[in-house]
Amino acid sequence: MTTMGVVPEPSLHGMRLGWVLTEDRLGHYPEFRAFFTRTFDLDRVGLARPGYWQAPSGTIYALVFIGRSGEPFPSGVEINAVVPALEPLDELLVDRDLWAFLRWMIAGIGGGWTLDALEATGRLFRIPASMDADRPLS
Amino acid sequence: MTGLDLPETIVRQWPFQPHFARVNGWRMHYIDEGAGDPVVLLHGNPTWGFLYRDFVAPLTEAGCRVIIPDMIGFGLSEKPVREQAHSLDGHIANLTGLLRSLDLHRITLVCHDWGGPTGLGFALSNIARVKALVLMSTWAWPLPPAEFHTRIFPWRMMHAPLLGPYLLGRHNALAGRGVYLSVVDRKRFQERAQAAYEAVLPDPASRLLTWTWPRWIPLDDTARALDRFTWLERELSACALPALLVWGREDDVFDPTTFIPRFRQLLPQAEGPHLVTGRHFLQEDSGPEIAAHIVTFLRRLA
Repeated sequence: MTTMGVVPEPSLHGMRLGWVLTEDRLGHYPEFRAFFTRTFDLDRVGLARPGYWQAPSGTIYALVFIGRSGEPFPSGVEINAVVPALEPLDELLVDRDLWAFLRWMIAGIGGGWTLDALEATGRLFRIPASMDADRPLS
Repeated sequence: MTGLDLPETIVRQWPFQPHFARVNGWRMHYIDEGAGDPVVLLHGNPTWGFLYRDFVAPLTEAGCRVIIPDMIGFGLSEKPVREQAHSLDGHIANLTGLLRSLDLHRITLVCHDWGGPTGLGFALSNIARVKALVLMSTWAWPLPPAEFHTRIFPWRMMHAPLLGPYLLGRHNALAGRGVYLSVVDRKRFQERAQAAYEAVLPDPASRLLTWTWPRWIPLDDTARALDRFTWLERELSACALPALLVWGREDDVFDPTTFIPRFRQLLPQAEGPHLVTGRHFLQEDSGPEIAAHIVTFLRRLA
């Protein structure tokens, strides 16, 4: 298993960005936007390039940040899997990777946003990836 | 033509002729049954007109015209795919567009959940068209929020950035498990109704409003809809329309001990409250009983 976290831009030769999730209102709770701004150095990088994040599965995801006139940047984000250009997505793997991403995000935001609360929410709604309990963060 | 395949068990419970209207730039589905003074029944998040299936026969048999619209973004209505397409004012305008296009007068508005702020928004800006109000498990003021809505687990975590699109979008957590958790007789709900709420939100993009509406609930004085809710509270406190309050005894979202007294303060003329078996989605547990309360209330007004 690969350690998860922020990684440099991978080679995109022969690859495509497979869209998996969009957030239109990243600053709904401002601490979420602050986390991404801090983690991906967005005050300096701006829209120049995506951020890249590697999941425990080894798959890398491109975070394409979105600007919206009149709102602090970033207003939103798209998460795209970097996958072989002509291959379909492995939906189960993507779902587990997204859950790992959300756990990583919540751990980084902190404060009242706890992993315990996230895991409890996942179990309450019977999210399959959340049922694999007590996994380490990396 | 709904464009959606509803399970046969659901179609049998919802045999009504679909109607569609172009309102405020969107395609809205509604049913229109019976004849008489109109009763407009408004659902909230994440339900649709099906929530009121047990109300149609008693109300039409009592001499009412029953109109049940599906909010834009839910049910058989058009579902925008960008969060910015949704606002409280926009949804009030959607409803206003429908009720004006039908040229309805002497309306009784039955409001539940987000059907409250939207229905009351219409009523208080079109007061001459409205005869009476029925309020169930809803609110109409800016602050304070329900205690339930202040908790990170499960409420705020469920719709937080990226978590909303994942939990409620990819996994349809609110229309399925969420409603299931907010009824009293869960077994009956699962057997008879859960598929109706899940089937009309078949894809993640179709579920956008399930995590967008929670983000419109004011939690503090920076909220987007603060001014509109302030207006709703002010206008409602000056409103002399006959009103009826119906609440679920087991409601743990808009708990009756907090929300009923607030409505009684704003609408001292309100009848009730009639407490029935029910959590937030009280229509699922006590539909015929609530419909009977409404029929009795309307007969007294006649």
